[in-house]
Amino acid sequence: MILTAYRVEMSKVFSKWRTFIGIMALAFLIPVIVIAMSVEGGKFLNFATQSLSQNFDINGNLMNGYAVAFIILSSLYVHVPFLITLVAGEVLAGEAAAGTYRVLLTRPLSRATMVNAKYMAALTYTILLVACMAALSLGLGTSIMGTGDLLVIRQKITVITVDDLLWRFGFAYAWAALGMITVASIAFLCSALVENAIGPIMTTMALIIVMTIISAIDIPLFDYLRPLFFTTHMNAWKLFFDDPINWQRVTTSFSVLLLHIIGCFVATHVVIRRKDILT
Amino acid sequence: MPAPIIEISHLAKHYGSLQAVRDLNLTVEQGDIYGFLGPNGAGKSTTIRMMMTLIRPTAGSIKIFGLPLHENRFRILRRVGAIVERPDFYNYLSARRNLELLGRLSGADVSKSNVNRVLGIVGLGERAESRVKTFSHGMKQRLGLAQALINNPDLIVLDEPSTGLDPHGMVHMRDLILELASDHKKTVFLSSHILSEVELTANRMVIINRGKTIIEGSVQELLNAGRLKVTIETTQVQRAVEVVGSTPFGEWIQSSTEQDIIMMLNREDIPSVVSVLATADIPLRAVTPVRSLEEYFISLTRESA
Repeated sequence: MILTAYRVEMSKVFSKWRTFIGIMALAFLIPVIVIAMSVEGGKFLNFATQSLSQNFDINGNLMNGYAVAFIILSSLYVHVPFLITLVAGEVLAGEAAAGTYRVLLTRPLSRATMVNAKYMAALTYTILLVACMAALSLGLGTSIMGTGDLLVIRQKITVITVDDLLWRFGFAYAWAALGMITVASIAFLCSALVENAIGPIMTTMALIIVMTIISAIDIPLFDYLRPLFFTTHMNAWKLFFDDPINWQRVTTSFSVLLLHIIGCFVATHVVIRRKDILT
Repeated sequence: MPAPIIEISHLAKHYGSLQAVRDLNLTVEQGDIYGFLGPNGAGKSTTIRMMMTLIRPTAGSIKIFGLPLHENRFRILRRVGAIVERPDFYNYLSARRNLELLGRLSGADVSKSNVNRVLGIVGLGERAESRVKTFSHGMKQRLGLAQALINNPDLIVLDEPSTGLDPHGMVHMRDLILELASDHKKTVFLSSHILSEVELTANRMVIINRGKTIIEGSVQELLNAGRLKVTIETTQVQRAVEVVGSTPFGEWIQSSTEQDIIMMLNREDIPSVVSVLATADIPLRAVTPVRSLEEYFISLTRESA
């Protein structure tokens, strides 16, 4: 039954044009960034390495496809959650708003199965979006700008050789998917609580913005809060470009995100199980 | 003796201090077209939502096909088709796609031929590929019936199925309900505020008000109970008034026009009154009992209020 319900949900999700907004946005934006970087990436690199070039001799193709993929992942990671909430925030609230819970839940389908099927559909979309991002960034980037070592400037400067990069990107995109699944789970829970599709989108985005702002302000009080925020741990994908990788921090961040995901998922089940369908 | 198709006992639903349904009892037997009547806010839709597991009762029990509903939800809903309130669908999908998806969840045959058959029954065959957002309310109502029939259910629960239909559509819906019960041996639970619809289709009915059962029984029995208002049309109103005024049969209440009088009569006394008037050579144009379910409904719900 769960597979039937999942197929039905996928049919519904991919029959709405809002589902394709995210994919179309990425399909437009990423090629634009890659082409712009291939034309003027040198200037960008010179600006980024301005202080380094006074002390170091920097050679080789550093503005390559991997560098572009890294930059895209850093910048789009902030905006992709909005595209995720467009779909994940609507899967349950959309039924309530349209009054279609009445035709859906009068079928021989348990509420738990419905929630699971909808959650699976939301996750499928989320993973698909991240996969699109990965394929477009890495595929277009490396085919237009070639490959090369990656210069990562964080607390320290790390140069990762070309043959050591692909698996790191693999982990980074898997982490991006985990982060986006966390966002999707929060939007999904909000979607169960309200009866319009805008509410979950706004609430999830507001949470992300508030937590990101609090994380960015360097006040000692916030040091206690920061580790609890999912937004802090969504950024942990950058850990995969450290050498050596701090696996303890990776594990901690993974646990926090997983707790958020499980918490939201269980809470959604409880809300829907107890919900009286009045719309 | 087979178990009733629906058996509701002492059903209640409270929202805080508001008692939407309280101590509701009813029994629907196999093959019934069961009218479920009540004024707005009587608790009809709340009851149907409880029957379809959309909301949980505060108290009482619902058995369908002899099985407790909440413990046997899956088994029961496989055999039930329902329209609950407004006919809402996935507007961005076609009528066919809506039926395919909903039918799949019911374990129904969603082959093209079966979907076409069901759409044909409700008269939407030619609009199968149109998106539901282009449908009128009446067409959505018919699609609502189609989705209720897609899994070939034994019990069909219809909540105001004629709302929004034009007169042709209402007649078609009524004929369809009768056909489902007589030819296909379906049991139909029909909630309606269109009383003539219940009068013309249902064999049994319940009237509820303020969430409580007021009266339950066969439609004919309930209609025959008590006295009827009878309009007697004649060209000799004054003479007719004098003649019927001298009989013990009933009470003359008014001459509404120059051409008729209205009496309150027991149903069995109507032939005698006609006979008395005919014996007195008073020409009769028509004798029409005007007591309808509507009047009965209004009198009962007024009393219970």
